[in-house]
Amino acid sequence: MKKAIDTEKIKQFQSMREPLTLQAAIRESNRCLLCFDAPCSAGCPAGTDPGKFIRQIKFYNYKGAARTIRNHNILGSVCAFLCPVEKLCERACSVKALEDPINISGLQRFATEYGKHFQIEPLRKSEKNQGKIAIIGCGPAGVGCAAELAKMNYDVTIFEREDMAGGVPKWNIPEFRLPAEAIAYDVENLLSLGVDIRFNATIENNEAISMLLAEGYMAVFISTGLSVALKIDLFDNYINALDYISFLRSVKFDHNNIDLKNKNVAVIGGGSVAVDSAVSAKACGANKVYLISLEHLDELPADKGEIELAREMNITFKAGCQITDVNANEKIITGLKGMEVEWIKPENFSPSNVRKVEGTTFALNVDLVVQAIGTKPGYEISRFHKSLQTRGKGIIEVNDLFETNLEGVFAGGDVVNAGSTVVQAVGEGKKAALSIDNYLKNRENKA
Amino acid sequence: MKAQADLSIEFCGVRFENPFCLSSSPVGNHAEMCARAYDAGWSGIVYKTIGLERSFNVVMPSPRLNTLNVFDKRFVGLQNAEQITDRPIKDNIKDLLWLKKNFPHKVLISSVMGYVDEDWAELAKMSEDAGADILELNFSCPQMAHKTAGYRTGQDFHAVEAFTEIVKKSCKIPVIAKMTPNITDMIPVALAAKRGGADAISAINTMRAITEIDINNFTPLPNIHGHSSPTGFSGPSVKPIAMRFVSELYNSKPLNLPVSAIGGIETWIDALHFLLLGATNLQVTTGIMRYGYRIVEDMIEGLSDFMIERNIQSLSEIIGKAAQKIVDPSEFNTRFQAISMVDEAKCIGCGQCYISCQDGANQAMIFDKISRKASVDEERCVGCMLCKHVCPVWDCITYKEVDTTKIRHAAIF
Repeated sequence: MKKAIDTEKIKQFQSMREPLTLQAAIRESNRCLLCFDAPCSAGCPAGTDPGKFIRQIKFYNYKGAARTIRNHNILGSVCAFLCPVEKLCERACSVKALEDPINISGLQRFATEYGKHFQIEPLRKSEKNQGKIAIIGCGPAGVGCAAELAKMNYDVTIFEREDMAGGVPKWNIPEFRLPAEAIAYDVENLLSLGVDIRFNATIENNEAISMLLAEGYMAVFISTGLSVALKIDLFDNYINALDYISFLRSVKFDHNNIDLKNKNVAVIGGGSVAVDSAVSAKACGANKVYLISLEHLDELPADKGEIELAREMNITFKAGCQITDVNANEKIITGLKGMEVEWIKPENFSPSNVRKVEGTTFALNVDLVVQAIGTKPGYEISRFHKSLQTRGKGIIEVNDLFETNLEGVFAGGDVVNAGSTVVQAVGEGKKAALSIDNYLKNRENKA
Repeated sequence: MKAQADLSIEFCGVRFENPFCLSSSPVGNHAEMCARAYDAGWSGIVYKTIGLERSFNVVMPSPRLNTLNVFDKRFVGLQNAEQITDRPIKDNIKDLLWLKKNFPHKVLISSVMGYVDEDWAELAKMSEDAGADILELNFSCPQMAHKTAGYRTGQDFHAVEAFTEIVKKSCKIPVIAKMTPNITDMIPVALAAKRGGADAISAINTMRAITEIDINNFTPLPNIHGHSSPTGFSGPSVKPIAMRFVSELYNSKPLNLPVSAIGGIETWIDALHFLLLGATNLQVTTGIMRYGYRIVEDMIEGLSDFMIERNIQSLSEIIGKAAQKIVDPSEFNTRFQAISMVDEAKCIGCGQCYISCQDGANQAMIFDKISRKASVDEERCVGCMLCKHVCPVWDCITYKEVDTTKIRHAAIF
């Protein structure tokens, strides 16, 4: 069987992301200053508390470290692989004033692996039942909310459209960045908390939320994420212009049917998903892979490590460029034309803010175009409830407590923040869970 | 050409090109090793202790080492269950002869351990005949627990005096008595050695210690086929204890003998510490076991540069300079008090000083959670300086003398 992802560079990238060995973890944890009111912990949107688990590793309390991560962040293993730590916990690390910050994701990986290997006692649901709560969408926000509610003894049901749990990390993050076992372990922890996941549960009814509330669910949390990729009008009607969601999903789950040998691939976009798409294309045997972004090299939103990997895999960066025209043979794109662009106003990285630079026209021969420029919600939000308040392309409006305009209905994650990190979504789910608990307790007191 | 200070010393009437010697141990186990040590720059070698086969049947245990590790810092101390040499006496004598012949300007010290009077006499004579410049009497090996040998001899004043006397009568070369630290007060033993005629004292031999227990099988390490024993502990961990003993020996007026210091020396600064506490000669083993003979290069260069910077012509000018400042705690001048001071520009905001002051001192540190900067509550600070010792920025927290007319509200401890 042909393996899609098998290049040497990717293997190196993966080994770089191996968990620290015991010896390396001991050394690394001993560089930590064990700060008072640790800034790394404050820097974690999900409250994983690295300040505490690093201290636990230093004092040889490895199982304690694993418990801290799992108890604070139900997607602790997933986050250890995916977190852009240089923008979060490691950015806040005090050691940075003296030397390189602590390798927090490496230590988190070490502790979660340790907990898995030595089988720390599973999370358990208590017998007490505080009532039923429905969650729509089993991605990071939904999972984060579910775990927190289950720990507070609520009876949680997650309705998931797909046949597997995990959301974006499950479907759209390439295996080389996130091994399936990491998701599996975290989902196992969720299930041990007694959370019920109903798969293949499409919400067809226009009054789904009313129905759930009528069925006895005391509150509903919407975490349906952004499951539809944005597309560029220019590529409408061409069969070889895919969006990154379907491309990455095919590479991950149907890679035997993808053969890009001797093909040229253009990926449009500059974020992590664009870089993931470009690297995946190269790993599937593509000849030339272009990464075409409006952002210049120093402005690319993708993580440093991924960009480094893309460079090592000889991805051609067409940064600060825009596609202006398509060469096609009927419904098949055969080439792209583009120009370099510059920002009109500073600090505004939007397509409406660019102007083309004269004399910079270029042409590329391509066999496949992958669009990775953003996403929008996959549902018509009105399906949930006709008066649910939204903005823009269907982003749900919530207040600081993640309450929507509807009584008893909460929302969090990408469908609220319009697209952020996994760890941010988990954090929002956790905070929403606390809001839900408060809301229900207040309601009970009033009654 | 770089200037080189004169590092030479005179010890027991013998000139050493520098104070750095190998102490009696596996690092000076045979002639080939010793030759490489001399070539590396060591001025003298205390050869591995020799004994007579008729008295000691030496079979080394295995494994015989374990280290003290503190978090990620390994080899902070070394525990060994080594004994005196297990080589035949005739081979060792041959090696001593060869070394003296090939390195006439280096110093050769023969370490000996007898069991009965005749042994000590015979070993002294053999060593002198083989060319040894000095003798060192091993009264202190923690692993040789015979009634009249090893560290138990070193705890027995009469034995030390008697054996020293026998050795002095049997040879003409100077004699150093090597002390065990496994004793409350070293001075009476050193005085016994002096009465026996010793020309100098060396200290310390290793400390009886247990470094670690294997928590899987509840056996102390090193695990010698299911058993272990408190054996000789050395290295940086014992240096503070060695420094205490060396200063006491130096400061003892009735003793008044030159001291060769042993215990955790790895750098020129360690060496300087011992010189300042009164040592004339310095011996090293654990540092060599860990890093090799080459460390002497940095000791020589570092000490030489220090002397040139401070315009010190001879090490004799500084020997004992710090020992003079050692007093009984009851004699401290407590009229002078101080508080700590945080340099805000250097503070990196970790708050370790705050945690330590809260839980381990006088709750005098203020930590601003917003700016993440530490500062000192001058009213509460008692100047213990715990904060300085936990601060990861070495020069961020300093000591400032304050108005001594103020009376302290509270005192630490």
